[in-house]
Amino acid sequence: MYNDKNSKKIVETIQNWARSHSIWVLAYGTGCGAIEISPTMTSRYDAERLGFRGAATPRQADVMLITGYLTVKTVKRVVRVYEQMQSPKYVVGFGSCTINGGMYYDSYNTINLLDRYLPVDVYINGCMPRPEAVLAGLSKLQQIIREGNANGAEKYLENLAWYKENQRKIAPNWIAKAPDLNW
Amino acid sequence: MKEIKDKMIAQIKAVFPEAVNKDYDGNRLDLTVNKEAVPSVLLYLKDSMGFRHLSHIAYVDWIEQGEFELVYILWSPLDKVKLYVHTRINRENPVIENIDMIWRQANTYEREIREMLGIEFTGLVAPDEFILEDWDDIPPFRKDFDTLEYVNRTFWHRPGREDAQDVRSTISERSGEEIPDFAKKYSR
Amino acid sequence: MEYILIKVLEAMATFVLAFIVGMTYGGVVRKITGRVHNRLGPPWYQNFIDAFKLFSKTRGIHHGAMHFLGAAFLMVTSVVSLMIIPILAPGGHAWYNSWFTNLNFNGDLIFLIYIMTFGPLGMAMGAGQTGNPNSSIGVTRGLSQMVGFEIPWVMALVALMITYKTTSIVDFMNIQRETGTWLMFANPFAFIAAVLAMLGMFRYSPFDIVGAPTELASGPVSENGGKFLFTMMSSGSVFTFAKLVLYVDLFMGGANNLIMLVVKTFLLYMIPVLYGIVSPRYRTEQAVRWFWGWPTFIGLLAILYAVMF
Repeated sequence: MYNDKNSKKIVETIQNWARSHSIWVLAYGTGCGAIEISPTMTSRYDAERLGFRGAATPRQADVMLITGYLTVKTVKRVVRVYEQMQSPKYVVGFGSCTINGGMYYDSYNTINLLDRYLPVDVYINGCMPRPEAVLAGLSKLQQIIREGNANGAEKYLENLAWYKENQRKIAPNWIAKAPDLNW
Repeated sequence: MKEIKDKMIAQIKAVFPEAVNKDYDGNRLDLTVNKEAVPSVLLYLKDSMGFRHLSHIAYVDWIEQGEFELVYILWSPLDKVKLYVHTRINRENPVIENIDMIWRQANTYEREIREMLGIEFTGLVAPDEFILEDWDDIPPFRKDFDTLEYVNRTFWHRPGREDAQDVRSTISERSGEEIPDFAKKYSR
Repeated sequence: MEYILIKVLEAMATFVLAFIVGMTYGGVVRKITGRVHNRLGPPWYQNFIDAFKLFSKTRGIHHGAMHFLGAAFLMVTSVVSLMIIPILAPGGHAWYNSWFTNLNFNGDLIFLIYIMTFGPLGMAMGAGQTGNPNSSIGVTRGLSQMVGFEIPWVMALVALMITYKTTSIVDFMNIQRETGTWLMFANPFAFIAAVLAMLGMFRYSPFDIVGAPTELASGPVSENGGKFLFTMMSSGSVFTFAKLVLYVDLFMGGANNLIMLVVKTFLLYMIPVLYGIVSPRYRTEQAVRWFWGWPTFIGLLAILYAVMF
């Protein structure tokens, strides 16, 4: 009874509802933009009323919020943090630099397309996005989760070879030494 | 201030006759020396003339003249004079004496210069990688390094950037505004 | 056989009650914190959603067998102390009260002092296995802080034991019912010392040095996600409720029905919460020095009061 298709679907719906209303955000703010997170969380915009909360470590987090540009050096750490997170997990690209490199599109050490290295669920456009835009993007993420389409973790596992190939292209020695998804 | 600087120049000239000085307003003083003389000049400046602080080591790539330039920026806390010691290195064979036994902090700057410009410091003891990791191209701060070509080779571009218009000229065309001549050269 | 089955059912009812009340308190505390910060705050049931989400995580890696002991010991501590503490005072409805008596016996106060330090010790083992440096620092801090607040806490309990020559919580509640005076008025020094120790026991600011989020990345739990964190979260809620009920039993005469229990525990809970919201964080040595200052002195006064009068 509990294994047939319909009951699984019901359970999945409830779980997705809970996931969308309890989002623990790990803000990866090594680029610019981490300053926009503080007003989003504090009394002016108060994201906690919608169920968003800061997570202290990758193990506890659901969403990785990557704010601003990523250099070749930080992308390794981002990949490590992402692989430490427990699925289901989501990635939100925040700011123009994660979308197409932004103003650093011709820099030798900042990556241009984040979704070649990690599966990104939602992009928030802007340089920098205001807290309203952050909330709009996170609401979009909630909607995707509720619809059951936020399957970045499965996508990453399915296309692991492709993602690892792209990561190896910029960090060949590091990827060779890194453990496979088991930090 | 003028007298202090004149006295300093006289003192330096007495010891290093080949040094060329250039004076600026205020408390700035520039000095150009040979690459071989750099450690002895810096040691003399530190020990005998009160330039106790190394603020920075700046670097310039003079690609047309085939030379690198290093600028050691010193500060004298007693006389309140900042001294720029310039030196030029041949671009083909960029080697210079390491000075981190004079100032410890020079080690960090030298690591950066070695990585970003490819200048070798004889006797520098430091790990190989500093800012760049897994770098296999020519040092990125050399002028003959083409960043856009490197980016095209290493990363990807998202389509949509090609028709990027110049904001200044687009707005002026739309509103019929004339761009002044001096502003045109800043416009793409 | 039937008797044992009924006992098991009663124990499960107690656990469910403690879980629901503890989680609700957690959500209400988050709401109150939000209101103090001039925010709207999350809804009161936010903790239930969080717990359910953590439980429905599909992946949860572990760091070896000892890693499980952290969560397991915390849960064991919470459940055992909940089973030992009588939830309701004797003298209410007969059938209603017998539901929540569970396992309490004559020496339960001494056993409680032991079992309440058991969870942090298990947590220390589990956190050591994860290999995260933040966990080790957090555990060290937690044990230091426990050394700090255990002294006034035990002094307050010893004062009560000396006065009334008993170590049974039910006896204490009977004494309060017979004399008509709550023990917080009968021996005020013991109550003050116990409340000051409670500030450290609940680990709100300024004594949140164990899981300091910005400093230690949540300390001992930093390597635990998904179902590990769910277990820790629910055991923390149950333990919070158990400790509050213990305080109510000892100092506020227990409660005759569940509504009274919720009112009393909530009022008591607001002491560390409201003090915590407006406080910054102490360093470890400051916290220990704080506990060994006035709280210990008041605990000493309580013992003197108990011996002399």
